[in-house]
Amino acid sequence: MKRIEVKLSLLVVAPLLDVIKGLADDINGEPATARPPQDLDGEFQEAWSRDLLGGQQSDLAVLLALFGEDFFLDGIVSFDQTNAEAIARACSAVRLLLRDRYLKPLADEALEAGEVELTNLDPAVQKAFMCYLFLATIQELIIQHLDESIIGSSPPEAGDSAPDLGI
Amino acid sequence: MAETKTHISPSQRTSTVLQLEAVWRVVVLNDPVNLMSYVVLVFKKVFGFDEATARRHMMEVHEGGRSVVWVGPREKAEAYLFTLQQWHLTVILESDEAH
Repeated sequence: MKRIEVKLSLLVVAPLLDVIKGLADDINGEPATARPPQDLDGEFQEAWSRDLLGGQQSDLAVLLALFGEDFFLDGIVSFDQTNAEAIARACSAVRLLLRDRYLKPLADEALEAGEVELTNLDPAVQKAFMCYLFLATIQELIIQHLDESIIGSSPPEAGDSAPDLGI
Repeated sequence: MAETKTHISPSQRTSTVLQLEAVWRVVVLNDPVNLMSYVVLVFKKVFGFDEATARRHMMEVHEGGRSVVWVGPREKAEAYLFTLQQWHLTVILESDEAH
């Protein structure tokens, strides 16, 4: 199994983890992107959101597990076929929440291009943006090195874990 | 034990049948958060697209704001919608009747 290990600077990353962990409760309470079809009835819409939230919580637990006690001993995180997919998704969920909570003052174009003048930002926004970039870097690392592991981990099929909507 | 009877009117039944028979589009919309490379990965993973097809759809989303990534029956379109939302893409369903 292909596996990559990355050594991170504890000095840089530890404060960013505070932001991620601080958002964890919010992330665990609401799916980042839940838009059930509007013509489904209320019960199905609830089931849709509940199932998305369950997956998101499980992905976030995998992301946070990267930064357990061992990480604070050596600063090393490891990615492989067993955690890459969940971590990539969790990074996306947290980035969406960061944008929603802290980065709204930044123009979409600037955010998309990553062209933001850090010194002009309020310290809280600055930290959130650093966190946003950090999570993007994790995603890039995974995509660059483990793309084939993720693609090949199961055959493409819609709704592998879709809710039973009974339609 | 009380028995519950559900009455389905002819108009409800017709509407449900039409909904199931219509052709539905799964449309991915642009967002400023998800990385281009991430969106390509998701398209390859979920639809089994090759790199070139996945990139073409991603560029459609990025430059045009939307891309129709799948067309077919409602039930499967819903399953794709759910799967893409698990990956946190912004997705909607559109029926042929909407055009």
